Amino acid sequence: MAETHAETALIFQPKPARPAPAAASGPVAWMRRNLFSDVPNALMTLLGGYILFVVVGAVLDWAVFGAVWSAESRRECLDAVGRAGACWPGVAEWLPNMIYGLYPKELVWRVNLGFLTLLLWIAPLFMPRVVSKVNIGVSAVLLFPFLASYWFHGGEMGLLWRVFVAAGIWGFVWVWATALSEQFAGRPIGQTLLAALGAEDAADADQRRILRIAAALLYVAALALTLAWRLEEVGTRLWGGLFLTLVISGIGITFSLPAGILLALGRRSDMPVISMLSTAFIELFRSVPLITILFMFNTMMPLFMPEGTDVNQLLRAIVAVCFFAAAYMAEVIRGGLQAIPRGQYEAASSLGLGYWRSTQLIVMPQALRIMIPAIVGNFIGLFKDTTLVSIIGLFDLMSMARAVGEDTKWLGLFIEPFFVVAMIYFVFCFAMSSYSIGLEKKLAQGRDRG
Amino acid sequence: MTGPEQAAAGGAKPARVIEIAGLNKWFGDFHALKDIDLTVRKGERIVICGPSGSGKSTLIRCVNHLERHEEGDIIVNGVTLRGDKGSVNAVRGEVGMVFQQFNLFPHLTVLENCALAPMFARKMPRREAEALAMTRLERVRIPEQARKYPLQLSGGQQQRVAIARALCLRPSIMLFDEPTSALDPEMIKEVLDVMVELAEEGMTMLCVTHEMGFARQVADRVVFMDQGEIVEQAAPEIFFSNPRYDRTRAFLSQIL
Ligand SMILES: Nc1ncnc2c1ncn2[C@@H]1O[C@H](COP(=O)(O)OP(=O)(O)OP(=O)(O)O)[C@@H](O)[C@H]1O
Ligand SMILES: [Mg+2]
Repeated sequence: MAETHAETALIFQPKPARPAPAAASGPVAWMRRNLFSDVPNALMTLLGGYILFVVVGAVLDWAVFGAVWSAESRRECLDAVGRAGACWPGVAEWLPNMIYGLYPKELVWRVNLGFLTLLLWIAPLFMPRVVSKVNIGVSAVLLFPFLASYWFHGGEMGLLWRVFVAAGIWGFVWVWATALSEQFAGRPIGQTLLAALGAEDAADADQRRILRIAAALLYVAALALTLAWRLEEVGTRLWGGLFLTLVISGIGITFSLPAGILLALGRRSDMPVISMLSTAFIELFRSVPLITILFMFNTMMPLFMPEGTDVNQLLRAIVAVCFFAAAYMAEVIRGGLQAIPRGQYEAASSLGLGYWRSTQLIVMPQALRIMIPAIVGNFIGLFKDTTLVSIIGLFDLMSMARAVGEDTKWLGLFIEPFFVVAMIYFVFCFAMSSYSIGLEKKLAQGRDRG
Repeated sequence: MTGPEQAAAGGAKPARVIEIAGLNKWFGDFHALKDIDLTVRKGERIVICGPSGSGKSTLIRCVNHLERHEEGDIIVNGVTLRGDKGSVNAVRGEVGMVFQQFNLFPHLTVLENCALAPMFARKMPRREAEALAMTRLERVRIPEQARKYPLQLSGGQQQRVAIARALCLRPSIMLFDEPTSALDPEMIKEVLDVMVELAEEGMTMLCVTHEMGFARQVADRVVFMDQGEIVEQAAPEIFFSNPRYDRTRAFLSQIL
């Protein structure tokens, strides 16, 4: 080979890298580049701007500048501005009902406190140094509902309910103990506790025993607390408005994800019975409109129940929504599972990971990540679908909005409350959607090339 | 293997760690492996080659039961593979596998990829598992990439991570299924170097590859397969210079 080359090889000198050419910056340059780059672009910009101006202007005229802000009845509004401006006093008067339904006014603080508990529960998820975020999130899904159930409903606690409510209290304390320990001491709560007890150097087995005893003691304390905790009962018949919408869709959403995962795994299972049952469930609930399912559960479930057991109407609606949502979620998740290459399963098996371990550690994290947009889309759809419960006589946000225009004082006032309802739905759905986009970006960081 | 059998097999020869006898495997109606007999002794390095579709991958995938075989016996370290959980897990604990497409877990860092199996298949505490993972990453010479995600690495680095990951279970046998076929030429060497080192340390290896240089350098035996059968097997110097079958000659003339 050597004889074909020159005596001394040339030495390759790589050129030094230089920075990319600076793009013209500043708002004017940006506008010129993006909005007015050529004639068609400029025309579209002007047209779009015009449409935006007209629409936003009309809405603002109606909702703000031409609106009536104080009046005693719809008549007064009509006399003042006719139909050209919104009549907000009616909505303002009904707003508490739109939010809480018929929940007793003097007890509404319990609902607020319940949701505040949820916010506090998930607040540690936003603390930078907290590492147990998965556990905290799972505890919020599994344990918070028990705590909330007593805030919202109150009344006499049966033994079973008490056991669960205590678990809820336990979870809340654990979450904050963990969050504080990890945020400020930078170590898990277990170590902080052991350090406080001076048992840092004890044998592993002893340490574990101490932690287990501590957890048990905390639970006993929580149980004792439930004995002292007595709230007046507020039957679910009085629940309504945004509160009810959040309860139904919240439970539906949290139920649908794990149930959908199990159904999707079941449908792909090698065991024929499991796969057949899962497929049947999914196809059954997917091929029937939600409204029909709600009707069926509402009228037929009592028929199947033994005489005398009264299944609460809200519960029936929730079960119907949960089944429906789980069936849809199952198909979304199955889509994600199909996107995972076979090599991933094989690598996991070859490393000796069993079915559940590889599902939990390898397959699901990837499948869920791929499907985040679809999953959140499903959540949003479910959130809006819960408006259908109004037709079986539950007073959700939608039916409360309709009730405004049926009030004799505000007879015919429909557009304004619906406008407000639309804004409320928009805020919630937009928040979910933004969160999902944020989540996708965060998960994508560093994991993909480029 | 116990004394008498070893004596029968010729005295000082090391124990047989893989024994395949009368292995047959079908995909539906397609007969993918036909009457395979193969014995591998401790520390032996076997290279398997053959044209595409000849059943090389299927054969080594049967060894750790990624494929279920219909007929014949596969005995690994004295455990007969029967398809039940116990024997499959016992065998998978002894056998590490490296794939053509790496099959790293893209949502986990390199370190997590390696520490995963010790933690969850062996119940090792996290700190210990990560320390073990670091030693294996050092062995394949990429400890500095431990915190990165697989897709941020080059193909050669990814494959070395895959080797480290398999080594984390302290296997006594390693299976390689065309570990360098998905790599650019420049990266093939860095992976082969790692494999040569492993071979020199005495690892028992079953390696499907078309890297004949590697076969010459480290293989104790080259196995040539075609259409689901083992056509012939011989020590590399004999295999390359004096193959017995026309089929083998035709194949060698194509790839050399
Ligand atoms: N899961 C499967 N289902 C059906 N046929 C299969 C399956 N896996 C492999 N085969 C067939 O079995 C034969 C052997 O396949 P195998 O993958 O073992 O070949 P190979 O020797 O590894 O080839 P290559 O060099 O292309 O990797 C091929 O004809 C292939 O089409
Ligand atoms: Mg192959």
